[in-house]
Amino acid sequence: MYEAIDIHQHLWPEPLLRELSRRRSAPMLVHRATGWVLRLRGEPDAPVDLADHDPERRAALVVADGLERALVAPSVPLGIEALPAGEAEPLLEAYHDGVAALGSRFGAWAAVGLAEPDRAALARLLDRGFAGACVAADALAGPAGFDRLGPILETLERRAAPLLVHPGPAPATATAGTPGWWPPLTHYVAAMHAAWHAFAAWGRPAHPRLRVCFAMLGGLAPLHRERLVARGGLAVSDPDVYLDVSSYGIRAVDAMLREVGVDRLVHGSDRPVCAPAALPFGEAVRSALRGRNPSRLLVSTAALAAV
Amino acid sequence: MTVAPLSRDLDRGELRELVAQIAADPERWRPLVRHGTADRAFEQLWRDEHVDIWVISWMNGSDTGFHDHDVSRGAVAVVEGEVIEERLVVGGAPRELHHPAGGVFDFGASHVHRMRQETDVPAVSIHAYSPPLWRMGSYAVAPDGTLRRESISYAEELRPVKAAA
Repeated sequence: MYEAIDIHQHLWPEPLLRELSRRRSAPMLVHRATGWVLRLRGEPDAPVDLADHDPERRAALVVADGLERALVAPSVPLGIEALPAGEAEPLLEAYHDGVAALGSRFGAWAAVGLAEPDRAALARLLDRGFAGACVAADALAGPAGFDRLGPILETLERRAAPLLVHPGPAPATATAGTPGWWPPLTHYVAAMHAAWHAFAAWGRPAHPRLRVCFAMLGGLAPLHRERLVARGGLAVSDPDVYLDVSSYGIRAVDAMLREVGVDRLVHGSDRPVCAPAALPFGEAVRSALRGRNPSRLLVSTAALAAV
Repeated sequence: MTVAPLSRDLDRGELRELVAQIAADPERWRPLVRHGTADRAFEQLWRDEHVDIWVISWMNGSDTGFHDHDVSRGAVAVVEGEVIEERLVVGGAPRELHHPAGGVFDFGASHVHRMRQETDVPAVSIHAYSPPLWRMGSYAVAPDGTLRRESISYAEELRPVKAAA
């Protein structure tokens, strides 16, 4: 049997919470009379429930979800990776050390500092058991991003470790009264589209064996195939590209099943940001999304054949 | 492998030609033959927006039960052993067709059939569907003799849970 796994959750471990609360500029945690508040650049302050980041409670939730393990991804919308290297470093270290100590119910994706992408640091994290690397969609939204992060992607490819493309952060343009769902429904979707098409155009030619997963069904970018073809693009099926179903439900997942087939979809919930939707497509789909497909995303078939 | 992409869905004749071409080139399908498992094994050889192609390995009396392919047309080339196709006849015994190695057949989206393998010799067949499989109908006879159709994901047929064991 395959291990049942959620490839996309978030959990701010204690060392990261401590570092964020120590900061005096965004991203930072601020303590108010009403509780903790997260302050990001250009976004309204948002309350944070620390119980959402309690490892014991979250481990119990993994079991309650019928899973054996969940992979924690860096919270890309916080914008930590994009900070100047000196500021990013203690936060990234706190994230990596914290998630590495979460216990057997969790694995994790490595974060990559964007100011000075460090392939040696990534290699060391892969040595420590990190599943792969998680990178912001905006950082891979065009040829310049693939040039800049080329050494990182090359390291993943050489180590047969996957890449998770995750949305965020939003540009700092939100004004008072902007609802919290605005960035996820506008900038995040557009950025995932750009990254999806950019990967096909520039990522895949440069990294023929890299396995990639796009969060949030790639913002539904694959459903735009007809428009892509109509505007002169070439739609290519890529068996090493996966999509996690986070934040979507029965209609979008059904449409994606029809477009890309069941083998391309993996279970990712985005907990605690979103709860997983019920997907009543039968046991076979459930088992493919939670077991078979993640196992192929996380462990290359070439590596499996070598065992 | 690559299949020359078409910018539209394939008709029955094109599907038939496609599976016959693949059948004639064992290097393309032999790596996907799986005879070690307890039941049918399905390996996807290709999928794009217009066609999906599978290599199915049959053994130990594998049986699909009666099913349809919703809106997909299909074609099958048998490359090893023999598979038996049954077509449902209302008020009569199912019509049974034997498809030995070398045989090719095709069907429209309105087709309802059941496929099985019943000799000691494992069978291998190449299947192509256009548009690619999405939903399927699975048929069963209720205790009162009435026919029931259940809409299932193609994964129930081609990615069954028990194959994951």
